[in-house]
Amino acid sequence: MNTVTLARLLLVAAVFAMPSFAADDEEALKKDLTAVIALHGQPCGEVVAVKVLAKDDYAATCKDKNKYHVYLNSEGRVIVEKQK
Amino acid sequence: MRVAYAAVLLLALAAGCAGGQRDTQVPEPADVATQSGTPQPSPAATPAPGAKPPAPRPAREAVPPVAKRPVPAPALDLNALEAQLRETKAIGVFTKITLKNQVDDLLDKFRKYYAGKAKFTMADLRRAYDLLMMKVLSLLQDEDQKLASAIVSSREAIWGLLADPIKFATFQG
Repeated sequence: MNTVTLARLLLVAAVFAMPSFAADDEEALKKDLTAVIALHGQPCGEVVAVKVLAKDDYAATCKDKNKYHVYLNSEGRVIVEKQK
Repeated sequence: MRVAYAAVLLLALAAGCAGGQRDTQVPEPADVATQSGTPQPSPAATPAPGAKPPAPRPAREAVPPVAKRPVPAPALDLNALEAQLRETKAIGVFTKITLKNQVDDLLDKFRKYYAGKAKFTMADLRRAYDLLMMKVLSLLQDEDQKLASAIVSSREAIWGLLADPIKFATFQG
């Protein structure tokens, strides 16, 4: 196996590895938002989808179909607003 | 400021698990003292020559069998706890901020209470503290047991800081 082949293999491996890093991040974010919503005493069960609206600003969809806008306000408080 | 943050987080962390039905916020020795004055079941009063200071044991058995905490908390190292809380990966960033918000809210309640502007009682504050601790512990216990244990061990010590107006004032400064 020459150097070029090895480099190609590494490139392919990196490409395949990337989505799993992203998936890990997304899972961590879902878990984080699940905990945040629960800490605010809101029903959710588990966050199953997250849309990043801006920095520290998310739209979360829960397993029980509830939707929440979760964001950090200018005073440094995490706000959870139920969406219709 | 750092200490305040640490204490707050610690607070939160520590309080949780035993679901606070002890409003006797006095540390272990006081418990023992109180109880040794009263007629005890029959716990060989002071299993003294034993290994550690197991004095709390008899007291525990007199009370509902709640916590099986081994020994009184070691010295409270707020800075270390703060650092561990900041570092732990068991809690996400947003969750940490949320907890900090809730700790700040609780500290505000203590401030109001000590300023004589509160409608709630110390028992209400204890309940709020315990609830917050429970939240923190439930977030930690599966993925960072070491920190969860440290917090449980510090629980009464932290409450001691909060429940004493003088210590609370110092701790605020």
